[in-house]
Amino acid sequence: MTDGLAGRTVLLTGVTGFIGQALLERVLSGHPDTRVVAVLRERPGMTAEQRLDELIDKPVFWSWRERVGDDAARATVRERVRVVTADLTDSVPELPDDIDVVIHGASIVSFDPPIDDAFRTNVVGTVDLYDAVRRAGERGGKKPHIVHVSTAYVAGSKKGIVAETSLQHDIDWTTELECAVEARRAVERDSRRPEVLGRLRAAALKEQGKAGPTAVAADTEQRRRKEVDERLIAYGRERARSLGWPDVYTLTKALGERAAEQTAHDVPLSIVRPAIVESSLRHPYPGWIDGFKMADPLILAYGQGMLRALAGIPDGIVDIIPVDLVVNALLAAAATPPEPGSPAYYHVGSGARNPLTLQRLIELVQEYFDEHPLPGTDGRGAIRPRDVTLLSEGRADKMLGTAERAMDFAEKALLMLPSGDRTRGWQRNLYKQGREVRMLRRYRDLYGAYGAAEVVYADSATLALDASLPDDAGCDSAVIDWAYYLRDVHCAAVTAAFRGVPPPVREPKPILTAGRPAPPPIVFEERADVAAVFDLDGTIVASDVVEAHLWARLLDAPLKAWPQTMLPVLRSVPRYLRTEHRDRGEFLREFVQRYEGANEAELRRLAQERLSDVLLRRAWPQAIRRIRRHRAAGHRTVLLTGAVDVFVEPLRTLFDDVLAARLRVVDGRCTGTFEQPPLIGEARAAWVRAWAQKEGIDLAGSWAYGDHYSDRPVLEQVGHPVAVNPDARLYRHAKRQRWSIADWDGDSGAVTTLLDAALAGASQKGGAR
Amino acid sequence: MSRPGLVLEVDERTPPLLVHEGEGFRLERFPLGTRVIYPPDSLPGIRDVNRRIEDALLNPLGSEPLPELLHSGMRLTIVFDDLSLPLPPMQAPDVRQRVIEQVLEMAANAGVDDVELLAGNALHRRMTPAEIKHIVGERVFNSFWPDRLRNHDAEDRDNLTSLGQTRHGEDVEINSRAAQSDLIVYVNITLVAMSGGAKSVSVGLASYKSLRHHHNVHTLRHSRSFNDPPNSAMHHSYERMHSLLSESVRVFHIECTVNNDVFPSPFQFLNKREWEWTLKDQAKFLAGKRANDLAPAGARHRVWQNMRAPYGVTGVHAGATDLVHEKTLGNVHRQQLTEVQGQSDVLMLGLPYLCPYNVNSVMNPILVYSLGLGYYFNMYKNKPLVREGGALIMYHPMKAEFHPLHHPSYIDFYEEVLTQTIDPATIETKFEEQYATDPWYIHLYRNSYAYHGVHPFYMWYWGAHALSHLGDVICVGADRRVASRFGFRAASTLADALEMAGETVGRSPSLTYLHTPPMTLADVR
Repeated sequence: MTDGLAGRTVLLTGVTGFIGQALLERVLSGHPDTRVVAVLRERPGMTAEQRLDELIDKPVFWSWRERVGDDAARATVRERVRVVTADLTDSVPELPDDIDVVIHGASIVSFDPPIDDAFRTNVVGTVDLYDAVRRAGERGGKKPHIVHVSTAYVAGSKKGIVAETSLQHDIDWTTELECAVEARRAVERDSRRPEVLGRLRAAALKEQGKAGPTAVAADTEQRRRKEVDERLIAYGRERARSLGWPDVYTLTKALGERAAEQTAHDVPLSIVRPAIVESSLRHPYPGWIDGFKMADPLILAYGQGMLRALAGIPDGIVDIIPVDLVVNALLAAAATPPEPGSPAYYHVGSGARNPLTLQRLIELVQEYFDEHPLPGTDGRGAIRPRDVTLLSEGRADKMLGTAERAMDFAEKALLMLPSGDRTRGWQRNLYKQGREVRMLRRYRDLYGAYGAAEVVYADSATLALDASLPDDAGCDSAVIDWAYYLRDVHCAAVTAAFRGVPPPVREPKPILTAGRPAPPPIVFEERADVAAVFDLDGTIVASDVVEAHLWARLLDAPLKAWPQTMLPVLRSVPRYLRTEHRDRGEFLREFVQRYEGANEAELRRLAQERLSDVLLRRAWPQAIRRIRRHRAAGHRTVLLTGAVDVFVEPLRTLFDDVLAARLRVVDGRCTGTFEQPPLIGEARAAWVRAWAQKEGIDLAGSWAYGDHYSDRPVLEQVGHPVAVNPDARLYRHAKRQRWSIADWDGDSGAVTTLLDAALAGASQKGGAR
Repeated sequence: MSRPGLVLEVDERTPPLLVHEGEGFRLERFPLGTRVIYPPDSLPGIRDVNRRIEDALLNPLGSEPLPELLHSGMRLTIVFDDLSLPLPPMQAPDVRQRVIEQVLEMAANAGVDDVELLAGNALHRRMTPAEIKHIVGERVFNSFWPDRLRNHDAEDRDNLTSLGQTRHGEDVEINSRAAQSDLIVYVNITLVAMSGGAKSVSVGLASYKSLRHHHNVHTLRHSRSFNDPPNSAMHHSYERMHSLLSESVRVFHIECTVNNDVFPSPFQFLNKREWEWTLKDQAKFLAGKRANDLAPAGARHRVWQNMRAPYGVTGVHAGATDLVHEKTLGNVHRQQLTEVQGQSDVLMLGLPYLCPYNVNSVMNPILVYSLGLGYYFNMYKNKPLVREGGALIMYHPMKAEFHPLHHPSYIDFYEEVLTQTIDPATIETKFEEQYATDPWYIHLYRNSYAYHGVHPFYMWYWGAHALSHLGDVICVGADRRVASRFGFRAASTLADALEMAGETVGRSPSLTYLHTPPMTLADVR
């Protein structure tokens, strides 16, 4: 065979993609007299050249590099590949004028992008590129041959045999494009309407209210952006469906073809439409694959025993084609330019000549895993996959919907429960199960339209190309022995990552009969310019404002007066809870009214004599130890609390700075109001920042401890945030942010022993009078 | 006449025997041939305690009668033992209350105005008002609390007086009010031979500076045992200190001893030897054990801690410290001493719910350790009950439970010291100073109800002699994590424990079970 590309210059886009990599490799290794121009995007902190360098290290080039030697391979790349830095969705620079062939493989990877993104990449990018190619061609006096990589699924929801011709539709892509761009503007505008913003803010308030107004604002904006995206995705999906395509990806690819036909009307144009591209059959080596392709997550899920049901029809055809066959077809097409103005069309798939049914696919995958089960991740031997049931579309949707609703409900319910060891455990489980449901949803969405379409893509043009190719590098799908390909090549390739790690050698391990050895005591680095900021209620002490108040009152009251002391407070509890849910500051202000008229000196005496024991009794030993550790290392220790200063007096010696609420006192009597607004949530964070700056404290090296979501702003200020016995919301946040989570416990929870002390005190008091 | 102590050899007819284990107890069938040491039967109490007190005060040993020592214008300080004595606390009225009331009456008659009462609590936690009231009685409490009835504060630098050093260079520093008094009247209850005598003032009113001279690893390793004062390096130190302080302040000592009636009704049968239990006793035991096992931990704890002992008073002696204490020791021995022939390979102990430092509190594992390897191991004269290199098997759940208010430094000691080393000498040199001078612990000791920061160290030293003497310690029913932190091993049953001890003492060891409480002091010949 003669090399139709010898002496030519080929421009490639999308070289970092799956097909692109294979294409570049094949040109470099198989067409020694062909030069390449690669269009690459910059990435933050990485030039296009560096990306190309990185690309050459990928497995697809391994066998070539092994054959010619590393240095020779690098030299070849330097010599034969030119890089053009460009982002096709943005603008296309002037291209070199010696280009003979363009293979445009760049495309949006998602099936469900916002409508304007899809159009920008698949239509605008294409048109801009081809315009630039034509201009460059005119400069160089050439008519470059454009090979446009499309997809077989541009045929949309058609059934039966699809011919290799131009798509039959009269949709005006420019109008659609305009509308897509307009949609973005409209949706953005719409999302700023007061009703929408109000609703979003209410939702954000509910979720983030405790973390303060800044967090609410940030969350509101994030929600708006998300809603805009979701809306634009819906625009895309519905527009595609209304025109007869399953999703916006295939719609824009279809319109992209039309745009290509119109833009490249005076140059040779070949449109190549591969079906589902999977691992290679022969080249560069059997089973080469980059990442997971469409069917692979399903195969893996099955191998891991997670896939139990699948939507699809058993005799539907799954049109899988190995990537090297696609590359062969592309290069063959590139070497066979048609006449300008009469584009050539090629379907690259297996459905016409070598169909694989869904049933057969499942059987082969099952056979593969029966023979080569995946090793269990926990080292408990191999995983035994479960049988897969094929469901009709409707039933699958219903089942998944139910699961999603249940997850949603469980998550909401958990957030309402009080936090504790057990709820945190549930949360962990839910998180795992949620992942499974989300994964199934993704497969469902991905696979729905492509898996088992009742359609056959005719491929006689491709077969004609095959005739021009050598036997071992053809593009005729009839050469595929599905049993061999799936069982010995593809499944093995897809599961390689799971087998790559040799099973750990398990020496008999000593068993810790007496529990885990205690961790060595924490020793902090000695520094004077860092701080440890502590919250009080729930972080150091297992109590809160209301409880402290109750103890203060009860300890001072004779036993028989207890009911009348407790009742008014207990009666108000529901109201307090409501207020606290709404706004902690408001709650504190409301609660502090209880002290109206109290004698301040008396309150101080009471707190010192009786309450200090309660406080110390309820303090977590780990908390006290941690504070003392910080002090020992010279750190500034700070207590930030909404509790009244009188009540935190016993702990004062542990802290360098105490910021507590102060009661306003007039003539020795409390007025039932605060001296200054109590520091809550973001006010605390602001105070910490200001204080740190004034005192020269390095917050990045500092610690903060909190238990409640409202402590989040303070925790975010420092480099070492610690969530202590966190509530559900803070736990979730801490998990996501990888903050340390401390479980502090002790005897402190024992209210009964406290009650004993109080009773003893009360009866003794009664006796003394 | 009560029956003397008894060494029983377990044979086929011996019923299962009572073993205490924390807030619970069990009946254990010991292997045939096990020696079981019982204390003498509880002695009869004095009928008219008040008469006896008056008699002691008016006819003291080696001293003028108390009224002759009292005169108007003098400074009188009455010091009394804190709540660590007796164990369990005495049913009201406490004998100290009776003594103090009589002393105060005599002082009033003599026109003494400047009277203060001090609890000799050394580095123990402050007592709560209720606890003090239980000891001194309501009348005294109401008249003197809080200004003239106080806890001793060993960290109140302004109220400590140094009285110099003994010839061994030991600092003697005690409470200023006591040091500057014309007369100290010390009101004591002696429960075991370790307490009372020279120890009372020199320890009860001292500071860390003074205490560290005898509460240390070296002294305790040479106190064999500390319940046998003539052979106790610790007591030699007490005596040197006491004689030094006697030079500057006169001490009039009043010591009381109690009998073995530690269990109130309906549990009095626990004091009886098991084969003498009536059918009714056995039924009570079964019901009591079942109820105790089923009760929630909190309720069970309350029941045990609220137990008050209906002690009988076996003696009241007053006058010069040494003469009084001699009589006192005689009474203690009369009640507790049982002669035993020879040491055995294995000693078995049932550790009860209470030790001197968890009255109205939680028995934390360090206290369990000190009760077993400190107090009980040292309940001997002449030689330990177990041979050198022998094994100790003790029963206690040993849960890692602490009272955060009373034992804050214990928690840190457990988490941060014992995780690094369990060797008493290393612990002493590496950590003692740091804990003893820690401002936070001092703050808690002075203002809250915490034992002093150094107190857990003393608990650890208490067991230093046993640790170097024993070849193995096995804890039946203990939390394995706790036992292993102490360097011990936990066993589920006695059979397993004996199996494990076999590594140290061979397959046919001789066994001794010290049947206690009530207290038994073994005189090992």
